Amino acid sequence: MLQLLWLIPAIPFLGALILALVGRAFSRRMVAVVGVGSVAIAAGISLAIVPAALALQAPYTQVLWTWMNVAGFRPEIALYLDPMSFLMILVVTFVGFLIHLYSAESMEQDEGYSRFFAYMNLFVGSMLVLVLADNLLLLYLGWEGVGLCSYLLIGFWYKDSANGLAARKAFIVTRVGDTAMLIGLFLLFHNLGTLQIQDLMHRASVQWPAGSPYAIAAAALLLGGAVGKSAQLPLQTWLPDAMAGPTPTSALIHAATMVTAGVYLIARTHVLYSLAPQVQFAVAVVGAATLLLAGFSALTQPDIKRVLAYSTISQIGYMFLALGVGAWAAALLHFMVHAFFKALLFLAAGIVIDALHDEHNIFRMGGLRKELPIAFWTFLIGGCSLAGLPLVTAGFFSKDLILWNAWASPHGGLGLWVVGIAGVLLTALYTFRVIFVVFFGTRNTPVTHRPRYRVIVPVAVLAALSLVGGLVKAPLLAFLNSALPALVEVRAGFLTELLSAIVSGLAFATGLGSAYLFFIRKRQYADALAASSAGRRLHAFWLADWAFDWFYDRAFVRPVVWMAAINRRDAIDSVFNAIAWLNRSAHFTLSRSQTGSLRWYAAVIGAGAVIFAGVILLA
Amino acid sequence: MNSTDLLALLPLLLIAATAILVMLAIAVRRSHLASALLTVLGLCAAFGTLFIAAPLVPRDVTPLLTIDSGALFYIGLILAASIAVVFLCYGYFKQEEEHRPEELYLLIAIAALGSGVLVCARHFASLFLGLEILSVALYGLISYERTTKASIEVGLKYLVLAAASASFLIFGIAIVYFEFGTMDFGGILPDSPAGAVDSATIAVGVTLIVVGIGFKLGLVPFHMWTPDVYEGAPAPVAAFVSTVSKGAMFALLIRFFDRSGMRGDSSLVLVFSIIAIASMFAGNLLALLQDNVKRILAYSSIAHLGYLIVAFEAGGAIGRSAVAFYLVAYFATMLGAFGVVTVLSRPGNDLGDLSGYRGLFWRRPVLASVFTVMLLSLASIPLTAGFLGEFYLVAAGVSGSLWALVIILVVTSAIGLFYYLRIVVALYSRTAQPAGAWPSRINSHSLSWTLGVLTAAVILIGCYPSPVMRLIQTMVAGSG
Repeated sequence: MLQLLWLIPAIPFLGALILALVGRAFSRRMVAVVGVGSVAIAAGISLAIVPAALALQAPYTQVLWTWMNVAGFRPEIALYLDPMSFLMILVVTFVGFLIHLYSAESMEQDEGYSRFFAYMNLFVGSMLVLVLADNLLLLYLGWEGVGLCSYLLIGFWYKDSANGLAARKAFIVTRVGDTAMLIGLFLLFHNLGTLQIQDLMHRASVQWPAGSPYAIAAAALLLGGAVGKSAQLPLQTWLPDAMAGPTPTSALIHAATMVTAGVYLIARTHVLYSLAPQVQFAVAVVGAATLLLAGFSALTQPDIKRVLAYSTISQIGYMFLALGVGAWAAALLHFMVHAFFKALLFLAAGIVIDALHDEHNIFRMGGLRKELPIAFWTFLIGGCSLAGLPLVTAGFFSKDLILWNAWASPHGGLGLWVVGIAGVLLTALYTFRVIFVVFFGTRNTPVTHRPRYRVIVPVAVLAALSLVGGLVKAPLLAFLNSALPALVEVRAGFLTELLSAIVSGLAFATGLGSAYLFFIRKRQYADALAASSAGRRLHAFWLADWAFDWFYDRAFVRPVVWMAAINRRDAIDSVFNAIAWLNRSAHFTLSRSQTGSLRWYAAVIGAGAVIFAGVILLA
Repeated sequence: MNSTDLLALLPLLLIAATAILVMLAIAVRRSHLASALLTVLGLCAAFGTLFIAAPLVPRDVTPLLTIDSGALFYIGLILAASIAVVFLCYGYFKQEEEHRPEELYLLIAIAALGSGVLVCARHFASLFLGLEILSVALYGLISYERTTKASIEVGLKYLVLAAASASFLIFGIAIVYFEFGTMDFGGILPDSPAGAVDSATIAVGVTLIVVGIGFKLGLVPFHMWTPDVYEGAPAPVAAFVSTVSKGAMFALLIRFFDRSGMRGDSSLVLVFSIIAIASMFAGNLLALLQDNVKRILAYSSIAHLGYLIVAFEAGGAIGRSAVAFYLVAYFATMLGAFGVVTVLSRPGNDLGDLSGYRGLFWRRPVLASVFTVMLLSLASIPLTAGFLGEFYLVAAGVSGSLWALVIILVVTSAIGLFYYLRIVVALYSRTAQPAGAWPSRINSHSLSWTLGVLTAAVILIGCYPSPVMRLIQTMVAGSG
């Protein structure tokens, strides 16, 4: 069965290729069959190899192609399947499939239907290459592939220049991180002589002592790439603007592909981080800071999709926190659960947005509980899972594990734990703010469109997964820990796992209660709080994402634009023009020698003979 | 000479037999199809006998020839290329059979025989014999369209210059013979361990031999004839000149310098470095703004032979593997490029002008794509055979620490990118020629099949070179 592995990324690529080449000629139905079908087949194969993958004793490597073998240079394209990459492909293909199915209906009226599915398939294919790569170079190819696809999809409605701007922002900001990562790859290759991940990790642990400056530099540079792709501090600014794309795109970016790439990268290269404890601690700090900052920003957003965007940043912050304390498996568990409920939330939000004729502002929604019961119940389930409703939702189990590990891990501590608990409170608050404002209260906008089965089925399946996903916690952790080092709990102290869970449940209840108070019972409290001078300032500050954009604009964008403006006639260009001129002159000079006359040709041969004889005699 | 020797010699014997058979067949009855078919069958049979000869090598057959795995490899390459040229010629001349194309195949078979003798030569006599068999056939091939003035002119030019350079060669041979008293490559410099060329007489003799070889290879400063001949000769013949005749000569060059022990000589190294550098620069720079596609390909071949000298100088197993691999890639690509020109040309009226290729893609997408693949391969873009060939050359050059040559190789191939892409830009230009400027479809299956096979080869070797590389490594390991 495992021989089919290569088909999992190949089929989405094939789908993208077919749609890109002949998609224009297809009917909408045909486009949907190819676009959704390719990911469905990939998901089917992933499911089919489950027994084989579970029975796997050692990681499975499939060499697809050895390009050449010259002078010790032997580039190989190979896929690497271990519990970690297996979990990733399972989630990517399955959630990706549900999102594709949803899109088949929700994008039906769009004129770029086949273009949309071509990009989406390419996106899924690139992500699969990223997670299956056994070599950092191939991983980087997938990495750039998802970057490209996110650019294409965020700017999908390119006729509106604001969307193009958002797409470019996403591309350029993540590019900053990509550059850091590329330098990291150079560093690793230069010092360890390979980019083959397992070899690399082995050599790093043999050649570099813990705390070695090389390990620190390499881990930090890779972290730079990870914070770019995963929208963590300080490169998180692109993700909220990325909401310019179609809603299924957002679901795909946030749930199955792209933003989790950073988490995967760090987990994949965890040996490096173990060798560089400072950087690993930085990962935890980045995660903790991001989850708080994004949580506050989410509180103030009026756009339903932007709230969800900030919640993604915040939840990825939890994953980084887990990675930072060495709870690799917990991070991946939360990744999986997050993929379920975040895809669900986006898709449910998409139903609402479509129903209200593309209305994004939550304050113009309201009272949709009865009108759109499907959207209400699924969004409620997703929201509960996101906020971590104790005992019944998957989100509670995964987040709870992270919180406990943040305390119990040798790298953890009280500070990280407290931040995590504060995050739970914030999450509950902003989540139920949206739920109460959108689905309760008075109806502000009439419902014009209702979902059909291709939309309902995916959200229903995802809702079920968001609830029961936590049940697989124990076996999944055991499965993952066969590939990743398990966390050693060192700290017990006054805090026990049960107590931590109770505190996080209380935090959830507090958040829920405050949201109820502010947005159902006493709306005027919330308004008064926001209207007070301090409240107004804070609101504006958080709404603008802690003024990061403002700062980056002044610190980086404007100086660069300014420099570009004064260097309009690029001075460096003249160097290249000079080279071109030199070549042209040489061409015309030499051309004059091709006279076409026989005696001249013969004379040159004779002259050549004389000169070479002279060279041999004199040398 | 015993029967085993004869078996080892079978490929060459069969090529010779093919030539005789074709000649007799033409004498009995003129038929274009029959002579082409007979030639292809004969050459294929000769190719088949390579497998009979393979287990018997290495072996010296007579004091003149040596058949080793290298010789068999190059004979195979020559035969494959000759067969491709026969196919191209058939499609080309089928359009106007009043040109009496039958003897063309006879000449191709003879030229292939001469090339085969060259790659087996271990003696000056066989060298000269092979060279002249090849050259005399080429005179006829180049001016085969005897009705057009240009064709006669370039034929004559080639005749005069080739004869002059052959006289250089034979004078050089005479001098070397005078000094050492032997015509066997292995007998030259048997005693001097460093392989130094010390006396002035030998220096002059070797220089003259280099002139003779350099002329056939079209290396600077003996390259002047190349663009004129390529432009004036029929397109399939130009393909033959650029591949078979040059490839065979290059194999000879390697054998001569390896066997004679002169490779290590520092002043000869210097001479070849000058030749390589001059060829790389001159070839690429001359092609830069050239407006005739056939002339561009001629200049390009000058540059490519210059690149090959880099691997030749690197020497050793990796140098020889690099040369062999590069020649395979170069053969397939050049034949493909000239194949496209052939499709668009008529006897006596070849399509040379770059403007004539403008917008080809919009009317003949497949043909334009094939040409694009060939041009990208010539420009050594990854995933084509040309890229791996050049990579191999660079690897060989680096392993021989020929830094200056390698850097110039890279710089000049960057210059070369310009003119290849210039053609590509023209192919995809939106200002298309009026309908009817080109034949509406490939008029012969022999052309379409040949181009299909060559395109597949260029891409396949570029993506999955392992089988070819293994073959070459076995070949290099088996030849001394």
